[in-house]
Amino acid sequence: MSNTNGTAHYGFAERWLPRVVLAPSFLLSLVFIYGFIAWNGYLSFTASRMLPNYEWVGLAQYEALFASERWWVAVQNLGLFAVLFIAGAMGVGIFLAILLDQKIRAEGALRTIYLYPLALSFIVTGTAWKWMLNPGLGLEKLMHDWGFTSFTFDWLVNPDYSIYTVVIAAMWQSSGFVMALFLAGLRGIDDSIIKAAQIDGASLPRIYWRIVLPALRPVFFSTLMILSHIAIKSFDLVMALTGGGPGFSSDLPATFMYQMAFTRGQMGLGAASSMMMLATVAALVVPYLYSELRSKRRG
Amino acid sequence: MGALAIKNVTKSFGDTDILKGINIDIDAGQFLILVGPSGCGKSTLMNIIAGLEGPTSGEVHIGDRVVNNVAPKDRDIAMVFQSYALYPTMNVRQNIAFGLETRKVPKAEQDEIIARVAKMLQIEHLLGRKPSELSGGQRQRVAMGRALARNPKLFLFDEPLSNLDAKLRVEMRAEIKQLHQRLKTTIVYVTHDQIEAMTLGDRIAVMKDGVIQQFGSPQEIYDSPANLFVAGFIGSPSMNFIPCHIAEQGGVLGVALQGEGEPVFFALPERLNVQGRVGQAVILGLRPEQFDQADAGGVACRIRITEPTGPDTMLLSQLNGRDIIARVHPRHAPAAGELCSLVPDLRKAVLFDPETQTRIG
Repeated sequence: MSNTNGTAHYGFAERWLPRVVLAPSFLLSLVFIYGFIAWNGYLSFTASRMLPNYEWVGLAQYEALFASERWWVAVQNLGLFAVLFIAGAMGVGIFLAILLDQKIRAEGALRTIYLYPLALSFIVTGTAWKWMLNPGLGLEKLMHDWGFTSFTFDWLVNPDYSIYTVVIAAMWQSSGFVMALFLAGLRGIDDSIIKAAQIDGASLPRIYWRIVLPALRPVFFSTLMILSHIAIKSFDLVMALTGGGPGFSSDLPATFMYQMAFTRGQMGLGAASSMMMLATVAALVVPYLYSELRSKRRG
Repeated sequence: MGALAIKNVTKSFGDTDILKGINIDIDAGQFLILVGPSGCGKSTLMNIIAGLEGPTSGEVHIGDRVVNNVAPKDRDIAMVFQSYALYPTMNVRQNIAFGLETRKVPKAEQDEIIARVAKMLQIEHLLGRKPSELSGGQRQRVAMGRALARNPKLFLFDEPLSNLDAKLRVEMRAEIKQLHQRLKTTIVYVTHDQIEAMTLGDRIAVMKDGVIQQFGSPQEIYDSPANLFVAGFIGSPSMNFIPCHIAEQGGVLGVALQGEGEPVFFALPERLNVQGRVGQAVILGLRPEQFDQADAGGVACRIRITEPTGPDTMLLSQLNGRDIIARVHPRHAPAAGELCSLVPDLRKAVLFDPETQTRIG
């Protein structure tokens, strides 16, 4: 169109301006995201220690990774953390939303209180919970000062339970957010549906279980997507709360990778572990993107 | 035996009185209409009958027991809602079965009931569908089917036709009436539509501001409205209210009506009982159909607008300085701007006291 009724110069700008504007960010992401992914992939096949070197060792780093006990602890922790955190935050959030939906007074204030933790960074959450759960400083000390000297709550320093403190802190941070999502969904449900079910003789738990929650399926799935990605990328909370310890008992793959690549001079091993994380995320995201793109093309 | 009795029921939220002493008593098999403008308390009263809200004071009897402390599910009632209130994730069959399952009706009996109800309402082909795949009229049928499946002592309808388009509303209205004639159950029906009230009801309770203004049969309410509000609310176009004074002329009591020109005297029927009120101001209530066109003996009126509806033509004019509407046969209807002689038929006229707004004759 610009060729026929616009000037040649105008046509040139119109055609090239978007590409010129987009080019820097395109180039940057090409180099710094995809380029570095590729570089990292290459490093995972090398014998890099403190600094990158290019001595090809094949799959040796992956063999070392799969033989490492610490890696399997991290993987196991991630599974435990993701399941408990998602189920816990979802359960608590839905329960709070149902309670708030009973037309109670001061609902606005309560909603804000529950939602506030989301405004904090995971670093702040982690630090605050570290103090509260510290046996010599927080809850346990408080109970001892009150005279309950037999009270112990030492999960933070107990290697068998340290990962559960991460779950508690993450649930505290995210439950209010889940509540807000579900509360919005509950508000969209016609009041008379609940009245009809009451007349039909259903108890309140049965009304929510059979009628209201099934109607919130879309909310359930969006919440699941959001919580899963929070779980997989969890790094800062663990660093602030337990630092992966005691020992490496509360390591997650992300903290494992950080430790190996940047503090213990095992860059090749760290690269291999990050490639495994990339593969995990890709296994989840690619089918999703595929179905999204396909439905868009059809639509 | 009374099917439903409401005795001195009141309801207040804080300082606001929603219902101020409601008394209603209907027999088994009757069709009770609660009608009134928005905010008159009719839906609150319905919720109290259903047990979804409790009254502040007073008693509700269903059958021969007081149900104030009986949960909705144990009141032997079924309710149809304005928004249909179908369970969105269940198909039609599950929607109907839900209440039966909850009451632990055996599966074989459930199937039998669903089949019977579906046949009665002609929704057999819809049983496998979700509510979102149904039209408004079909959803309405399913909602009624769900209520019918219970076979309750009392049916409650909360503005069930308000969300339907005009044509479907007329059809469903007839079906509800037919259903009532066939099943002979007691129905309480809330509406703000006075045509639904007139066409469906055996008994009508006209409500305003939490008070029953009048309780009676449709014809009683139409012919002898208790006050100006009822007279204006029931009937479309609504009743004409013409301010006048009781006068005596040649030993006959009557009123003077003035359109364009001299006032004309019309005798009031003896039924209205206005002896001793000579000289007093009254409001004369005349339905639009109580006017006739005549060559002589009428009061001359200037027609401002005509509204042909097909079977009738509405003439908008003025009497005693007040806007009136007359319903006349279209064949002789005058055009806008013309003079026309209107004869009021005072045999069915009613009179109201302008102070108290109640009917005096």
